[in-house]
Amino acid sequence: MFEIPWNVIAMQFFFGIALGCIFVLLSSGMSIIFGLLDVVNFAHGTFAMLGAYAVFVVISLSGSFVVGLVSAVVIVGIIGMIVEFLFLKPLYGKDPLLPLLLTFGLSVAIPDLIKIIFGLIGKPVNYPEALSGTLMLGSVIIPGYRLFIILFTLVALISLWLFLKRSDLGMIIRASTRDSLMVQTLGINVSRIWTFGFGLGVGLAALAGAIAAPMMSATPDMGVDMTMTAFVVTVVGGLGSLGGAIVGGLLIGLVVAFTAFVAGEYSSVSMYFCMALILLVRPRGLFGEQGRE
Amino acid sequence: MVNDNTNTTKLQELHAPPKPVVVYGTIFVLLFLPLVLSTPLATEILIWAIFGMGFNLLLGYTGVLSFGHAAYFGLGAYSSGLAFRYLDASLPVGIAAGVLAPMLLACFIGALAIRKRGVYFAMISLAFAQMLYFLALSPLKHITRGEDGLTHIPAMAIFSFSLGKPLPLYYFVLVVTGVMLFVTWRILQSPFGKLLQAFRENEERAKACGYNTTMVKFWSLVISAFYAGLAGSLNTVYLGYVPLTTLFWLTSGTMVMMTILGGKGTFLGPLVGVGVFLFLQNTISLITPRWELFVGAIFVAIILLFPGGIMGTLEEKMMAYRMKRASK
Repeated sequence: MFEIPWNVIAMQFFFGIALGCIFVLLSSGMSIIFGLLDVVNFAHGTFAMLGAYAVFVVISLSGSFVVGLVSAVVIVGIIGMIVEFLFLKPLYGKDPLLPLLLTFGLSVAIPDLIKIIFGLIGKPVNYPEALSGTLMLGSVIIPGYRLFIILFTLVALISLWLFLKRSDLGMIIRASTRDSLMVQTLGINVSRIWTFGFGLGVGLAALAGAIAAPMMSATPDMGVDMTMTAFVVTVVGGLGSLGGAIVGGLLIGLVVAFTAFVAGEYSSVSMYFCMALILLVRPRGLFGEQGRE
Repeated sequence: MVNDNTNTTKLQELHAPPKPVVVYGTIFVLLFLPLVLSTPLATEILIWAIFGMGFNLLLGYTGVLSFGHAAYFGLGAYSSGLAFRYLDASLPVGIAAGVLAPMLLACFIGALAIRKRGVYFAMISLAFAQMLYFLALSPLKHITRGEDGLTHIPAMAIFSFSLGKPLPLYYFVLVVTGVMLFVTWRILQSPFGKLLQAFRENEERAKACGYNTTMVKFWSLVISAFYAGLAGSLNTVYLGYVPLTTLFWLTSGTMVMMTILGGKGTFLGPLVGVGVFLFLQNTISLITPRWELFVGAIFVAIILLFPGGIMGTLEEKMMAYRMKRASK
């Protein structure tokens, strides 16, 4: 075996974590939606794609990356709430597979709509200038934007955690995840909480799409791969578990980054192998509750 | 059995399996399909209908949603394509390869995941299908030819009867479709078929009656993979080529849309769904390349308004009509 210098390995590790952070944002949104509404959102990646396009549009209008990120979340979150209100609400209490099928229909239709509006070819999103450089940490080269992704995800997750643990609305969301009937009995309009929860989850997907956009540019068909990644992370981490989404996301990010480095042609396959392995060894996922799968 | 209550007799009749005339009548009608539609479109409808019958057995009658049926269809297509191209296999041997490989894959995926609840199984099956897609795309490129698809598959013949021309091929596929339609009809009336439907209606109760629900779901998946593999290898014979899209997620998704459109859990639903879907797709893509937008929107509308699909909604109307007459 030839020797790989440790700083190259450290760099791959760093890349893997940054990639994993995008997966974490994506899957935690999926996890919130599943926990609250019991809906597997097949269009999750599609909403991430909408986030990437939103950041493209807002940046070309305002010129600011931060404004772009924030408005991507808000715009897509509102779209998500409208979708939940119009399409998903009528399906609750019926066959549990119907919401999945409905979101699948959306994931077929929406990319074509984007192709009509923005054209077939993807839209490049520039790195914000302040973050386009690299940092030297000893002999390890760190691209600024990837460091930003990691720090940004950390901040986003901490705020999400504080929101869910400390705010009244967060408490209601957690309670509805456990027992929505009881929350309803206490006089809270759970239906509205569901709408908001779907918007929140989809907003997180949009955030993932938006911060990924400078690295891969916004393309109409990027959604499917992101949905698929969210599925794999969810199976690996455990369905409906936020901690599982975080650990699973980082793990898959590392697996993909290292396979891309060692055996490039296997990089897209590696995460599915990882999933099959987890299913063999620990069927409920790393953090899954017994019996929920 | 003597039954005094007319109402219950009527209800029992409503859930009766399709009469033999439905099976033979359908085959008879299909004999003339090339007169109405172009022969390639008609052949495509039959191939997808075989795929759909197997898928319906799993989704419609057992109540298990697999979102990765492209894996079985594509693996069937590739297995027979590889056998034809590299091993000079004869038609029956190639088709046998195209049927066995997907069944083995179904055994593997079933063993890993069939115990999971519905939405979870849907996700896992889809992820496995994507795994095969990416395997064929890049690491196995030297045998599958990656994105170009597997080309140079010789035209097939059966009993020295060439299948190179569209019309002989159509009637060959029709014979297979007819046999599968008959087999499906028999399966649904067998004790196994009754069990499938019992699980879909009430899994807990079937379990309490002492049936092993996991095993029945597992075999339902394997049988369904048989249909998908058969359809896949017929698709290879029909095209003389295996496109990579046979493994693509949209192939699974298309199958789901076709089955829901036609009516899941109805005998003729898959055939009707496949026919209407392919006809729509062909017509819309003449007008605009963005047919997915329309098909997706139609699908969303069906889920919201007619989740029973075409045949399901018709059956419901029939049932309401009969109930009304019976109560008079």
